[in-house]
Amino acid sequence: MAATPATLAEQEPTQPTKIPLYEASTQFKHWRFSVDELVRTRASMNEAAVDAIRATFEADEPGSSANIAFLNWEEEQLLVKLYMSKISQLCGHFRFPDEVEATAISYLKRFYLKNTVMDWHPKNVMLTTLFLAAKTTNNPISLEAFTTHIPKTSPSDVLDLEFLVAQSLEFEFAVWHAHRALWGIVLDIQSLPPAAAQTEDPPPSQLYDAALAHIRESRLTDAELIYTPSQIALAAASLVAPDLAARWSHSKLSASGSGTPPAALDATVEAIKSMIVNFGHPPNVNDVRDIDRRLKICKNPEKVVGSKAYLAKKAEEERKAEEKRNKKAVESQNAMANGDPFEELGHKKEALVDYDDDDDD
Amino acid sequence: MDVVEKANAQRQKKWAKVGKVGEGMYAVVYRGREVETGRQVAVKKIKVGQLKDGLDMSAIREVKFLRELKHQNIIELLDVYSSKTNLNLVLEFLDSDLEMVIKDRTLVFLPADIKSWMAMTFRGLEFCHRNWILHRDLKPNNLLISSTGLLKIADFGLARDFADPGYKMTCQVITRWYRPPELLFGCRYYSSAVDIWSVGCIFAELMLRTPYLPGESDMDQLKTIFRALGTPTEEDWVGHTKLPDYVPVGQFPKTPLRDLFTAASADALNLLSKCLTYEPRKRISARDALHHAYFFALPNPSHPSKLPKCTTSAQLASKPLDDVDGNSEAKAAPSNRLKRKLTGPDQGGRSIARKLDFTKQSVGSPGSVF
Repeated sequence: MAATPATLAEQEPTQPTKIPLYEASTQFKHWRFSVDELVRTRASMNEAAVDAIRATFEADEPGSSANIAFLNWEEEQLLVKLYMSKISQLCGHFRFPDEVEATAISYLKRFYLKNTVMDWHPKNVMLTTLFLAAKTTNNPISLEAFTTHIPKTSPSDVLDLEFLVAQSLEFEFAVWHAHRALWGIVLDIQSLPPAAAQTEDPPPSQLYDAALAHIRESRLTDAELIYTPSQIALAAASLVAPDLAARWSHSKLSASGSGTPPAALDATVEAIKSMIVNFGHPPNVNDVRDIDRRLKICKNPEKVVGSKAYLAKKAEEERKAEEKRNKKAVESQNAMANGDPFEELGHKKEALVDYDDDDDD
Repeated sequence: MDVVEKANAQRQKKWAKVGKVGEGMYAVVYRGREVETGRQVAVKKIKVGQLKDGLDMSAIREVKFLRELKHQNIIELLDVYSSKTNLNLVLEFLDSDLEMVIKDRTLVFLPADIKSWMAMTFRGLEFCHRNWILHRDLKPNNLLISSTGLLKIADFGLARDFADPGYKMTCQVITRWYRPPELLFGCRYYSSAVDIWSVGCIFAELMLRTPYLPGESDMDQLKTIFRALGTPTEEDWVGHTKLPDYVPVGQFPKTPLRDLFTAASADALNLLSKCLTYEPRKRISARDALHHAYFFALPNPSHPSKLPKCTTSAQLASKPLDDVDGNSEAKAAPSNRLKRKLTGPDQGGRSIARKLDFTKQSVGSPGSVF
């Protein structure tokens, strides 16, 4: 008990200074990238995917991959973007709140940072992210109600991918959204002193709806993977009411005493604004149709149900499972023969991990 | 195998399940360990395969919130992975819970002990509320106790983010005895005050060593509350008669808390009364509670390591093998013999789907291979 101050300090490092809640979030820690990082991540993911799929083709028939035009990462992104815009349409249909729509789109973006469209077509992934987002935002809908309202969709189309989507999200379901930040800004702006000079900005009462339209556009861009929700919200507000937004942000900066110079924030806001204006719209359908057509040829044959590669993979999996079952049966027989009912547990002691997980039934 | 599936398999290999601790309809809890370090953990395996709507809401809530909340008074979610059709949550291993401690009649609580548990509960809860999360199921057996005596809030299966004003929430939350009157009256717009009421009930239970407001039905719950605290007047709680499920349940006089809590300090009763205030908007916040005079008055809260602990079966099992193996039940029993059976409240088939229930551990199981 009589710890000297020195040892105390070692055991209990001084409390770190309070960090904003947002900075403790998984979003801040795991889902933010620089522009370059995003490109690198996507390019290398695409490259690895192409290599793997090429190898599968070659294993089936040497030389068969030579004439296949695989998708590059930009093409993948374009396809994904089309399905982001489909999420918005579906949310309108289901009358889901903004939160569901924004979350589903975030999930779709995050999913394709780790997966390729050549393995998993965004059509089904999109449905799964939407179904999952409805649940994670506390707006659950039964799978039956969900699938009966979407043509040509069976419950398994949605559920089969749920684990894969959840894994790809690292089971990090909480997303911080720009529309929430916008609401805060709009509330805040109402307590600003009136502008000294006449501006053409709309009154705060109209600001939210007008700026929300830009937030929706921003969801089709990479903004949320690069910037904070409040930066995106400020940019959206600034597109509608530049003077008001600047007055608010500068008053906020001086009040918070943060070291950020106003010019640096302004530059960030301008970058987001141009991102929204230039990329915040669904892609050209004809371009995407062309990509989708090529995807039919270059998609991973292991994922095509019924294909030779698919059957080969399934057979291999089945063979391994069978092997494991046999091994298990032999072990338990031996245990019985030895008259030691705990023999099996003894084995577990050696093999620490219960890979089989066979206590499922 | 895909990159994502590989990563999942890698994660799975980090954790070893050692023995089953409890089983419910939708979940099985295992004692486990981190393969690399030998650190004890609990693995909660949620069976998703049988669910027609996929991952169920309580699993999703638990994962969603525990992934974000890192605090010494909140159970730590160490990892998540899937296996076949199951979802596995790797949680920090905690020996017992406050319900077990309260029920262990061999233990004597000092006022300083109760203060310590209350401080830890409020700290964890303040962190939840600061993060805009309502727990919605606080009760003694969701407050787990670590081997070092730290109290940690667990079971976020009913938790949710605060709704914006104007968004309805369900009133079917919080275990009845800990449910505040506004929920019993069907209030669909509520706040962090619902959790504070629960903490008030837990505070009272720590002093009484028995549940404070044990109603037998939702209707009886209101009666039980009013019998204890007096029927609220319109002045006490403006507008409560207009709540959706309001029913008059009879007039009961207000009796001073002092009549029942004879040994409590004035500060303690003042804080208790502020937690059990009828008007939710006047109920104390977790933050203000932490600044309440009760926590600054003597005695100082007990250090967690000095808090009374029950010798649970879970702890027995973690003893060296020769202590637990073979016929050692007799050897281990003396400290146990005086106790009321700890598993008592479980006999009603309490589902452990969402909780870590270590009370069902069989003593001397050869499955404990530590």
